[in-house]
Amino acid sequence: MSWPEAGLGDGLIAVRAVHFAASAIAAGALIFRSVVAEPAAVVAPEALPVLAAQVRLVAWTSFVAAVVTGLGWLLLATMQITGASLWEALMQDGLSTVVEVTQFGQVAVIRLGLAVLLAIGLAGERVWRLRWLTLASALAFAGAIAWTGHAGSTAGDLGMLHLVSDVLHLWAAAAWTGGLVLLAGLLTSSTRHQSPAWRKLELDAIARFSILGMVAVATLVLSGVINAWIIVGTWQVLLGTAYGELLLAKIAVVALMIAFACVNRFWLTPQLAAKADASRRLARNSGIEFALGLAVFAIVGALGLQHPMIHP
Amino acid sequence: MRQALLVWTAALTLLIATDEAIAHAMLDHAEPRVGNTVASPPHEVTLYFTQKLEPAFSTITVTNAAGQRIDSGKTRVSGSQMSISLKPGGSGTYHVNWRVLSVDTHTTDGNFTFQVGQ
Repeated sequence: MSWPEAGLGDGLIAVRAVHFAASAIAAGALIFRSVVAEPAAVVAPEALPVLAAQVRLVAWTSFVAAVVTGLGWLLLATMQITGASLWEALMQDGLSTVVEVTQFGQVAVIRLGLAVLLAIGLAGERVWRLRWLTLASALAFAGAIAWTGHAGSTAGDLGMLHLVSDVLHLWAAAAWTGGLVLLAGLLTSSTRHQSPAWRKLELDAIARFSILGMVAVATLVLSGVINAWIIVGTWQVLLGTAYGELLLAKIAVVALMIAFACVNRFWLTPQLAAKADASRRLARNSGIEFALGLAVFAIVGALGLQHPMIHP
Repeated sequence: MRQALLVWTAALTLLIATDEAIAHAMLDHAEPRVGNTVASPPHEVTLYFTQKLEPAFSTITVTNAAGQRIDSGKTRVSGSQMSISLKPGGSGTYHVNWRVLSVDTHTTDGNFTFQVGQ
């Protein structure tokens, strides 16, 4: 591989990793708001503006990162497909060709439209109906990534199963990682405010996030097994290819995340009512779990560029 | 922790239970068959891949025993299948070169031969 090709490959891995993480966190933040933060805040209405500000900050930041890296991904993919330089991709017909005639380019345009809807939704979130548009467009924006990867190119009857499984995988990853960011924020705010109302809110939010987390992990594992079965299929490929090695690394990091989640759920959560520092430790562990989640996205950035059947 | 162990055991058991391997934008089979002999020059060559292909970036070229291009230059792609019409090329060894872009933006290429009338 020549230096320009190696640089292009590294650039693709980087923009894909940040794009996947940012798209997932944006969707996950809005899922957390709908199923955890707002229902839990019924017992502490004064907490709502604080939580809403945290959701807005996380959603907007990750949205901007997702749009910037999404455009970068489209440009780098165009350079890779056409063999054009950045200048040629932009000024000649490289970019327009990829957008017009490839599935990757067409999905990119659809996702750009969804990003516009998401921005409109986020900007007008105080209008109730737009809030559901915001959540739906964020889920669609994250889920549509499935059509750009291995799932989008699986031929035959397995193609639809692969797509459904990959979309569920992306949504579950979004709910888990995006939720962790906001859970850590909620716990930190609760520790700072130290009021009975915030305490009640915190306990309810943790109970709700536990259910969300368990559903997300179960979905991730099941859809991950389906995806691995379709793409990898055999132990030989899993153990004897660069793709398999990366997949094993991803599984190892996810296993570590699950271990942290279990410590949080089965050890720290029962201590919340009795021990004052349990909530601070829970926030710290959520932060570590989130950092591991970012490592998973970094691995996924490289994973999608590997050919599963080519040996290292 | 016990729940996590159960989940991972189930996941690994499911992985072990599978034995099907699906290649990635690789040639599955072709017509005429790779390495086979056919009695008369075929009118077209069709390649079947394991992944869906991008028509604008997927091509086949075919040369006859004399090294002359005998394909029409117009590759047809439908899903994971790619064909090209051939001009009469006589007998001997035909060389097929292919280069494809799968819809997940991976480029792969390869070649094979088949015999005509020998």
